[in-house]
Amino acid sequence: MKKTTLFLVFLLTVGTFFPQQYIPYNGVKDNANQPIALIKAIIHVNSQTTLNNGTLIIKDGKILAVGENLKPPKNAIVYDLYDKHIYASFIDLYSSYGISKPIPKKKPPQPQYSSSKQGPYYWNESIKSEYSGIDDFQFNQKQKNKLLKKGFGVVLSHREDGVLRGSGFLTSLNKASNTTTLDNHAANFYSFKKGTSHQAYPSSLMGCIALIKQFYLDAIWYKQTNPAFKDLSIESHLKSIEKPQIFITSNAQDILRVNKISEEFEIDYIIKTGGDEFERIQEIKNAGLKLIVPINFPKAYNVENPYDANRISTQKLRYWKYAPFNLSILEKNQLNFSITSNGLSPKDFISNLRLAISKGLSKEAAYKALTETPAAFIQKSNTLGTLEKGKWANLIVTSDELFEKNGTLLENWIQGKQHIISDLNADDIRGKYNLNINQNIRTLIVKGSKEKPKASIQYNIIKDSTLEGVFIIDSITGRPIKITKKKTVPVTIKHQGKQITLAFKLNGGNYGLSGIVNFNSGSWDGNGLDPNGEWFKWSAIRKEKPIVKEKKPVFTMDTSAFHPLLPPVAYGFDSLPKPIPYLIKNTTVWTSEKEGILYNTDVLINEGIITHIGNILDVVDPSTIVIDGTNKHLTAGIIDEHSHIAISRGVNEASHSVTAEVDLGDVINPNDINIYRQLAGGVTTAQLLHGSANPIGGQSAIIKLRWGSSSEQMKFKPAPKFIKFALGENVKQSNWGDRNTIRFPQTRMGVEQVYYDAFLRAKKYGERWEEYRQSNKKGKQQLPIPRKDLQLEILLEILNKERFITCHSYVQSEINMLMKVADSLNFTLNTFTHILEGYKVADKMKAHGAGGSTFSDWWAYKYEVKDAIPYNASLLNQMGITVAVNSDDAEMGRRLNQEAAKGIKYGGMKEEEALNMITINPAKLLHIDHIVGSIKEGKDADLVLWSQNPLSVYAKVEKTFIDGKLYFDIDTQNQRKMKLMKQRSELITEMISFKNAGGKVQKLKAETSTSHNCSTIKDDGNE
Amino acid sequence: MKKTVFILYLVSCFRLIGQETPAIANNKNILLLDGTAHIGNGNYIKRSAIAIKDGKITLVENALVKTIDTSGYDQVIRIKGKHVYPGFIACNSTIGLMDIEAVRASRDSYEVGEFNPNVRSIIAYNTDSKITPTVRSNGVLMGQICPKGGTISGSSSVVHFDAWNWEDAVVSLDEGIHLNWPKYNSLVDTASFSNDYQRALNSISSFFSRAKAYNNELNNSYFNIKLNALKGIFNGEQQLYVHVNFVKEINDVIQFKKDFKLQRLCVVGGADSWMIAKRIKENNISIMLPRTHRLPNYSHQDIHLPYCTAGVLANEGVLFCIQNAGDMQEMITRNLPFMVGTAIAYGLDYEKGVSAISLNAAKILGIDHTVGSIEEGKDATLFISSGDAFDVKTNNVEYAFIKGRLISLENDQIRKYKKYKKKYDLK
Repeated sequence: MKKTTLFLVFLLTVGTFFPQQYIPYNGVKDNANQPIALIKAIIHVNSQTTLNNGTLIIKDGKILAVGENLKPPKNAIVYDLYDKHIYASFIDLYSSYGISKPIPKKKPPQPQYSSSKQGPYYWNESIKSEYSGIDDFQFNQKQKNKLLKKGFGVVLSHREDGVLRGSGFLTSLNKASNTTTLDNHAANFYSFKKGTSHQAYPSSLMGCIALIKQFYLDAIWYKQTNPAFKDLSIESHLKSIEKPQIFITSNAQDILRVNKISEEFEIDYIIKTGGDEFERIQEIKNAGLKLIVPINFPKAYNVENPYDANRISTQKLRYWKYAPFNLSILEKNQLNFSITSNGLSPKDFISNLRLAISKGLSKEAAYKALTETPAAFIQKSNTLGTLEKGKWANLIVTSDELFEKNGTLLENWIQGKQHIISDLNADDIRGKYNLNINQNIRTLIVKGSKEKPKASIQYNIIKDSTLEGVFIIDSITGRPIKITKKKTVPVTIKHQGKQITLAFKLNGGNYGLSGIVNFNSGSWDGNGLDPNGEWFKWSAIRKEKPIVKEKKPVFTMDTSAFHPLLPPVAYGFDSLPKPIPYLIKNTTVWTSEKEGILYNTDVLINEGIITHIGNILDVVDPSTIVIDGTNKHLTAGIIDEHSHIAISRGVNEASHSVTAEVDLGDVINPNDINIYRQLAGGVTTAQLLHGSANPIGGQSAIIKLRWGSSSEQMKFKPAPKFIKFALGENVKQSNWGDRNTIRFPQTRMGVEQVYYDAFLRAKKYGERWEEYRQSNKKGKQQLPIPRKDLQLEILLEILNKERFITCHSYVQSEINMLMKVADSLNFTLNTFTHILEGYKVADKMKAHGAGGSTFSDWWAYKYEVKDAIPYNASLLNQMGITVAVNSDDAEMGRRLNQEAAKGIKYGGMKEEEALNMITINPAKLLHIDHIVGSIKEGKDADLVLWSQNPLSVYAKVEKTFIDGKLYFDIDTQNQRKMKLMKQRSELITEMISFKNAGGKVQKLKAETSTSHNCSTIKDDGNE
Repeated sequence: MKKTVFILYLVSCFRLIGQETPAIANNKNILLLDGTAHIGNGNYIKRSAIAIKDGKITLVENALVKTIDTSGYDQVIRIKGKHVYPGFIACNSTIGLMDIEAVRASRDSYEVGEFNPNVRSIIAYNTDSKITPTVRSNGVLMGQICPKGGTISGSSSVVHFDAWNWEDAVVSLDEGIHLNWPKYNSLVDTASFSNDYQRALNSISSFFSRAKAYNNELNNSYFNIKLNALKGIFNGEQQLYVHVNFVKEINDVIQFKKDFKLQRLCVVGGADSWMIAKRIKENNISIMLPRTHRLPNYSHQDIHLPYCTAGVLANEGVLFCIQNAGDMQEMITRNLPFMVGTAIAYGLDYEKGVSAISLNAAKILGIDHTVGSIEEGKDATLFISSGDAFDVKTNNVEYAFIKGRLISLENDQIRKYKKYKKKYDLK
């Protein structure tokens, strides 16, 4: 009662403390500027401090004082919040509040290679660093109310469009006024998504990464040299580089990718995550990042039908189960994180938060992640994030501890302004009443929610059964029996303050009742108008209080500890294999060395190295595991010179003709099941190549298939640098459809010119840098520093013989052409891959010094391979060219031994020569033959044990070792499969009981295929 | 030895010509002696005697048990240590309908339209495809040429791979109709298609109902070319080939067979068929398994599942064969034997592996009375490999006969190889 009045008084004072002197005013100015005191509350000053009988005084929207036993100023408006809790309002750093969604332009009829943006901006349209969200800010009542209900007081809002998204603004959730926005350019935003830009570049994740890097370099150079031209995108960026830099990602892999950029450019990003950090927690912990973590946990799936359940990936099942554990895992690992409510309704936000707490997140950490941490991230700890003196009076009042089940959010105060979320003082009028109209008593039932009650009148009619068409004679009275009929009449009910209105129809006439609610709704009374237009008195006495419906028990998942899988997909390891000494005894050893095949031989491996080959009678280390190799065959691990497995979001940067700046090393996907499948086919090393969409593609990544490791750990560190080139139909877009007919080159003639142009630019670039270095050395003349160009840097490495080329090639003319280009620029084509017409120019290849990595027998799938022959490998081999057989295909990659055997069938290779095509020869082509590719003492213990002659179609891989660790073992494979099926079955069972308990489910999404080949030109979205 | 020279002479005749010339009819009485014969019906004869005359197999004997009189033959080919197989059959093939996939002008396998039962693959079958000679030199001597596209693609025919034109290539004309069963859930697209699935099913049912009703009446007052084309499905003259992979859909196909009382139905694909092998067998449905050289559909599935499926079906007694449709299927036909080899490595009995691309394929195609195995009275369509034909490194076809005619094993690729060996002076 008192409070309501106070509230009214308060309303009058609103706004007065804002500095509005310069705003014209209509009427007599009410300059009341009274302090507000919240007393007797439990005040959670910050995540560490709680005051049990606290007082908080607000003046001018800020906290004037906070403490126990504080005496409010006499002129203060006092709110008694006995037994209530006060927290600092939350801060959300990931929001697009007040900014409408960007509308993409119409897609142009042909590919768009240059920017369509007018003005002096950066060349790429997905770079929007000049954009300011504040310019598009429009107050949005609906979004504001939603955020207030969730408990937020301040949000950082930005537009979700582009790789560089420009600046976001920090705003309090007040109606627009002079103090609403706290910082108009509070942070810069980034993502790996291109957004609405139709410009061809970047088409892939690796393109996005390269673009960001190049932009940074350009910005640094711009600052250093102050060039004659203007670039507003760069200038905006430079102006705000000291602001927080926020990177929006959607999965754990991308976090690590951002971290790499962060290390390279020394930028301390704050990273919005995908909520699956638990899957890569070790690496993320080591990186020590600042995170903004979503809690929009995935819904379950409809998995009752086992055939349907079979379609869901293990990763998705696990994500459903473990997403609520994510925050607690982050806390345990001492990561610095804040929480975002993005994508969640007020109800789901609070229930998910509580779910996370039930999975081990401490309440203190939750509170901190919603207040102090985001305030610190956004560099506003001095004004936001806690309830300390001098800070903005952004606070929420709750009925109980908010993170407990009963905590209801009552009020959200923003800059000293109260917003009622849930009015605790409002009467709950629900219940059962005796409604008395003119001494006629009927039952009135009020149900529904407290805010929106629903009412009905119930009464009985007693009639002779004959009147109802039923003729039953009472055996005692001899008269027709009377029957009772229950009637229900709907009532329109309105309840506002203490006023109550009822309207209903009885016996065909309308009744209207108006009255007052007394004694906490113990009774109502008032007057009404009957159908005859006569006034009458009425009353209602409550007989039963509202029955608080027992809510359906909230399904709680078991809080069993999180079980990591490495990687977090099917067939992931519980723990990584260890380097144990192994002795493989009495086996047939295909050395791939000049020793050839050794029979009845023993091989000892220790600490990742082949330590001894021969007749080993005794081993020193008692922990050595002895494997009987009788009737089995041991070969070096297979090396796939041309692979496209384990790549995230795009094998091709299918845009520009030259994309040397993109790097497959940035987008290795260690979760690809094909890694494991290929281990089961004996592959231990693979070169992940860029596709063949452009004459100069991207840098390749040579990896060892260390299943379970991170992408960085998979890299074959001592391997030299490589790049992919491509020729022919793919680069001239012959099979890309009618839309793609404008990119240069469209002919093989043009392809040559692309190379000359690129290398001449690179050469010039090198000279310019050299000139700069020389002149600076001599100290004679200070030349301006040249611009660093990632693409030309890579091309220069080729000219400087620091980087090798693997070139996709088919037709003799183009092979010939490229060798001539190379000769004229004094470098060598290291490897022609595919090289299906290599047999036509073998002599020239030999003279040039190129090797070949070919398909065993592919042909006829496009015009340029109509002359391909399966004898190619054999003929190149006979010509003394180093020749390998590769896969370019996730399926073929797991039976490369069969492909090598085709060298025997077509052209009569010796068996050892055939095997060498997948062992030592690709090692030679990759210049790693001193480390891997053969069985030789001192080399890496990358080995495969086969059930029989490895070139036979019947040979099975029994064991695959990498660095002396057993990564695949056919003896345990079945056991691993059973375990996986059991794990899945448990998750599925849990999902079904979750659904049965009323949990939310979503439509089933089948696992998608993830295989790529050279000509996959789209960002496939596979993370 | 002398005979071998004779054969080499025959073979050399083709060498000068760009395209392989169909072999001339052979009325000689030929005996293949002492080779290991893989009959095709699950049996083998370690040292066999096989006689060929007038295009037919006239004798199959165990040379270890029976003394073979070699005197009555015009020619005796001694093949001790070598293997004889029935000509392998490439089911669900598009050889001759498409030579270069990326070149639109060479694509003749996909017709537009929803229901095209009247479309006939044989019409477009090119006996002079450049791919065919590279396939038969690995032992694949026959194929089922199938139209693609739409819901009903049309009718397929079985051909052998040595002919001047389709008329003399054909082994069984318009032997079946191909129906592409809709997908309950698309594997690639994540959207759920269940409503679309039901609609698609209804439209198939209604089309078949109309066709059944139409074909019940012998004297229709009008001629409906499409409905008429389905006649053979209902009277058992033609087989219905249903292209379907997933278990839910296969269950619906089984019901479809019952609903329309179809006598002959073959599931083409059936990647999931191992899950309901018994049911498939009970319902008298045969399976044309997809290529073994493929990846499992889901990451949690057994990593070797595609290799193992054939073995499972064989153990359950399901009538199945192995086909190789998929990416670049025309040229990959030559690897069909190796796909069987992989299945053998993962649990399929060797001789059942032979059946899987010979007699069982012939049974499914309804041509097993004349071809598919090395048995007396059948067409002499067989080949001799110096080693195990299923193993890459030993598959080496030395002689191949189609209807008793010794065919050329040359092809353009061999010629190119020789041409460049000569250029580089390699031996």
